[in-house]
Amino acid sequence: MRPMTTVDANPLRQGLEQERVPDPSCLVIFGASGDLTQRKLIPGLYMLAHDGLLPQGQTIVGIARQDMTDEQFRASMRAACDEHARTRPVDDAIWESFARGLFYVSGEFTDPAAYTRLKARLEEFDRTRGTAGRRIYYLAVPPQFFEKIAELLGKENMVCDPEKGGPYTRVIIEKPFGHDLASARELNQVAVSTFRERQVFRIDHYLGKETVQNLLVLRFANGIFEPFWNRQYIDHVQFTVAESIGVEKRGNYFETAGIARDIIQNHMLQLVSLVAMEPPVAFEANAVRDEKVKVLRALRPIEEAVRGQYAEGSVMGERAAAYREEANVDPNSRVETYAAIKVFLDNWRWAGVPFYVRAGKRLPKRVTDISIHFRPAPHPLFSRLGLRMQPNVLAIRIQPDEGISLRFDSKLPGPTVRTAPVTMEFRYATSFGAEPPEAYERLLLETMLGDATLFARRDEIETAWSWLDPLLHRWANDPAPPPFYEAGTWGPEEANVLIEKDGRKWRRP
Amino acid sequence: MIDADVRVHAGSIEKQLAELWRNEKQAHDDAVTRAALWNVVAHTWNSKQHAHATEVLASASASVPQRTIVVRADPNAPHDMQAWISANCHLLGDSRQVCSEEVSIVAGGERVDHVAPLVNALLLPDMPVAVWWLGDLPNDHAYVESLLEPADRLIVDSSQFDSAADFALVARIAEQTTTAPADVNWARVEEWRAASAAVFDPPAMRARLQSIAHVRVTTAGGTLGATSEAVLYVSWLMAQLGYEIPFELATQSEEEGISAVDIRFRDNTTALIRGDRGRGVVKCSAAHAETELDCITRKRGRGLSDLIVRLLKQPESDRVYLEALRIARDVAARVAASHAA
Ligand SMILES: NC(=O)c1ccc[n+]([C@@H]2O[C@H](COP(=O)([O-])OP(=O)(O)OC[C@H]3O[C@@H](n4cnc5c(N)ncnc54)[C@H](OP(=O)(O)O)[C@@H]3O)[C@@H](O)[C@H]2O)c1
Repeated sequence: MRPMTTVDANPLRQGLEQERVPDPSCLVIFGASGDLTQRKLIPGLYMLAHDGLLPQGQTIVGIARQDMTDEQFRASMRAACDEHARTRPVDDAIWESFARGLFYVSGEFTDPAAYTRLKARLEEFDRTRGTAGRRIYYLAVPPQFFEKIAELLGKENMVCDPEKGGPYTRVIIEKPFGHDLASARELNQVAVSTFRERQVFRIDHYLGKETVQNLLVLRFANGIFEPFWNRQYIDHVQFTVAESIGVEKRGNYFETAGIARDIIQNHMLQLVSLVAMEPPVAFEANAVRDEKVKVLRALRPIEEAVRGQYAEGSVMGERAAAYREEANVDPNSRVETYAAIKVFLDNWRWAGVPFYVRAGKRLPKRVTDISIHFRPAPHPLFSRLGLRMQPNVLAIRIQPDEGISLRFDSKLPGPTVRTAPVTMEFRYATSFGAEPPEAYERLLLETMLGDATLFARRDEIETAWSWLDPLLHRWANDPAPPPFYEAGTWGPEEANVLIEKDGRKWRRP
Repeated sequence: MIDADVRVHAGSIEKQLAELWRNEKQAHDDAVTRAALWNVVAHTWNSKQHAHATEVLASASASVPQRTIVVRADPNAPHDMQAWISANCHLLGDSRQVCSEEVSIVAGGERVDHVAPLVNALLLPDMPVAVWWLGDLPNDHAYVESLLEPADRLIVDSSQFDSAADFALVARIAEQTTTAPADVNWARVEEWRAASAAVFDPPAMRARLQSIAHVRVTTAGGTLGATSEAVLYVSWLMAQLGYEIPFELATQSEEEGISAVDIRFRDNTTALIRGDRGRGVVKCSAAHAETELDCITRKRGRGLSDLIVRLLKQPESDRVYLEALRIARDVAARVAASHAA
C-alpha cells in the first residue's frame, strides 16, 4: 500500500488517470540555469502539468547567479521545453498556465542575502498561490555547494522540522553522492545537520524507469517466479549496462570518477538489489528499502574484477577516438571506462550463485539488460541422443525496446528428436504502445507526494560505497594502465576470461 | 502487407489465420509481431454499422492489440453465413510491424443462432473479452445473453440512448451478471471530471466539497442521448460526494456534450469550469481568501476509437462509473420527464 497522501481526501480524483495529485508547494531549483534543469527538470515538470498531474498553485522558483527577470527565465525555460519536452510541440495553453507558476531569483549560493530575498518571495507565494509553507529544495548543483546551501537554508529558518509538525520541507539531491565512503558519509552528515533523513530524496534516475519498477511487479505480483528465484534453480545472473557513447563533454568529471563510480556503485547496485531482495512486507518506502539494503549488506568483498579503457575503434559505423584522446582527459589516464565484477551475495537465497556485473562506454550498442540463467534440467534425458540442451534464460531488457523474454528448448518438427532454443517475448511497445514517462517526471511527482520508495536511502549509499571502496583503492594504487579494448567491442579480453573460466559466457544482449 | 480480406469457411477460420501468419513470417522474417491484449467482439445489425465498427477497431488496435471479431447478424436477411479474415498492421517506429487479427462474420436468417458458439470458439484463451454493442440492445434476451456469456466487459454508448430504461438496463447488467458495463460516453466526460477534481485539489477548496449548493451544466440538448454526458456528470458528482445536489441542465446547440459547469457553494461563491475547444483545454477558476485559483486540463480526443482505447486500457471494471450509473438511471428519468413536459 502507498502511504496516505492528501489525494485520498479528494474523492473526485478516484478512478481518474491522475488519481494522485499532490498539494501545491514551492519547488525551488538551485542551479536553475544549468544543464540538468534545462534538459530534465523543467521539461519533466511541464510534462506533469501537461498530463494534469500538477496541482493548481504549484510554484517553481529557479535560483542561480545569472541576472534574469521572471519573464526572461520563463522564455529560456520555454526554449528548453521546445527542445526537450517528451511530447512536442509544447501546448501553448498548458504552457501559459504552467509559466504563470515559474519565478526566478538571482543570487550567489553562498550569500545569505539571496536566501532572505528567496524567503520573502516564497512567503508571498504561500498567500497568493496557496502553497502554504510547503517546500521542496532541488539541489541541481555540484555537491560542493550542498553544505553551504543546507546551512544557509537552516539559518534563514527555511526548513521545517517534521517532528514539530507544520508544512513539509523536502530536499532532493543528485548524484554523485560522494566519490567514496568517507565523502559520502560527510555529505550525508551535511544533509542530516539541517534535514532529517526522511526529508532527503536522493535521485537515482534508474529507479524512475518503468522497467526497473516492473522488476518488483514481475517478481512479486506473479506467483510463478518466486518459487524458483533462488540458488536451487538459478545458475547465475548477468547485468549489463552498455553505452555506445564515450565520455563526450564530461571528460573532466569522468577523470575523477570512472565507470565503477559512475554506474556500478549506484545504478547497477540498485538493479542487483531489486533482483536479489526478499519480498518486502509492504510496497512502502522503508519496507522496500530495508530489503534492498539487506542485499547490499550481504555483498561479499570483491575478489574478482576486471577493468578496461577504450582505445580507438569504430562504433555504429563511425570512427571513435580513444579515451585518452577525448577532451579534458589526461593522455596518460588510468581511469577505467569498463568494469566487470563477479559478485557474490552471502545469504540463504543466493549462496554460491555468481552475479556477473559489467558496465562500459564505447561498447557496440546502448543497452541495459539483466539475464537470469537457470540450471540445466536435472536429468539429461535428451543428452543421450547427442543433443546439447541450452539452459533457460529469463532476460529483462531495461532499455531500449523494454521487455521480457524467456528462452527454452523446443522440439523441431519431424520424426527424429532434434531441439532448438526458442524465445517467448513480451515487449512493452508492442503490448502497451504508449511511450512511458521520463524517469524524472515520475521522481519529481513522487517527491511532491512524499513517497520515498523510489529514492536511495543513506544506508544504501554508504553500504554500497563500503563494498566498492577497496576495489577502487586497489585500482588507484595499481601503476599499470587498465587493459585496453577497442571501441565498439564488448570490452577487454580479461572480461571474457572472468566469466569463461567458470564455464559460462556473457550473453550477447 | 497482409491486410487484404480473405474469404474463409467458417469452420476453418483459426486454421486459415495460422496459415496467413506462417506465410507472412516466411516473407518478412522477424519484422512482424502478432499481439493481443483483448478479444473485442463488435456486434452490429447492418452493413453501415459493420463498416463503422471495422474502421474504429482497426484504428484502436494500434494502441490496444486485439483479436477483433465483427459480427453482423440480421435475422431478416437470407439464411446464410460468411466469414472473412484480415490483419490490422501498424508500424512500430522502426521497420517492425505489430499486427492484430480481425475476423468478420455475417449471418442471416436462422444462421444468426450459430453466431454465439462460433464467436466463443474464436476467442483467444486467457485474454479478456469485450463486447461492443452498436445500436439497440434487443428484446431477445437469450440472444444477448449467449453473446455476453463470455464477456468481461460490455461497451455501450449512452449518447445513443433514447430512454431512461437504457441506463436502467445497463445498470441491471452490472448488478446481475459478471459482465462489467463500460460507456464510451463516460470516457467523454473524463475531462470534465479531471477539471472538477482539479478545482478541489488545493486543501482549502477540498473542505468545500461538502457545501455545494447547486450545479449548472451547459450541455447539448434536445434528446436524452444528447444530454447523456451531463447526466453522467451530475450523477458522478452526487455518487462521489454522497449527497443530493440540486442541478440544472442548460441546453445549447453549438457543441456536442458539455461545454460549461458552474458550481455554486452555500456561501454563494462559485467555481467555474469552461471548455475551450479551440485551444483544446478545459479551464477552471475559483477564489478562496487571498488566493486566486485557476487550473487547466487538456481536452481528450472524442474520436470513437480513442474512447474505446481508453476504456480498454482500463484493466479493471470501473467502480466509479458503476456508482455513477446507479444514480444515472434516476437522473436520466428526471431529465427525460422534463423533456416530455
Ligand atoms: N546534467 C545532467 O544530466 C546530470 C545528470 C545526473 C546528475 N547531475 C548532477 O546534477 C547537478 C547539476 O548538474 P548540471 O549538469 O545541471 O550542472 P551545471 O550545468 O554546471 O549547472 C550548475 C548550476 O548551478 C549554478 N551555479 C553554479 N555555481 C553557483 C553559485 N556559486 N551560486 C549560484 N548558482 C551557481 C549555475 O548557474 P550560474 O552559473 O548562472 O550561477 C547553474 O545553474 C550536479 O551535481 C550533477 O552531478 C547532472
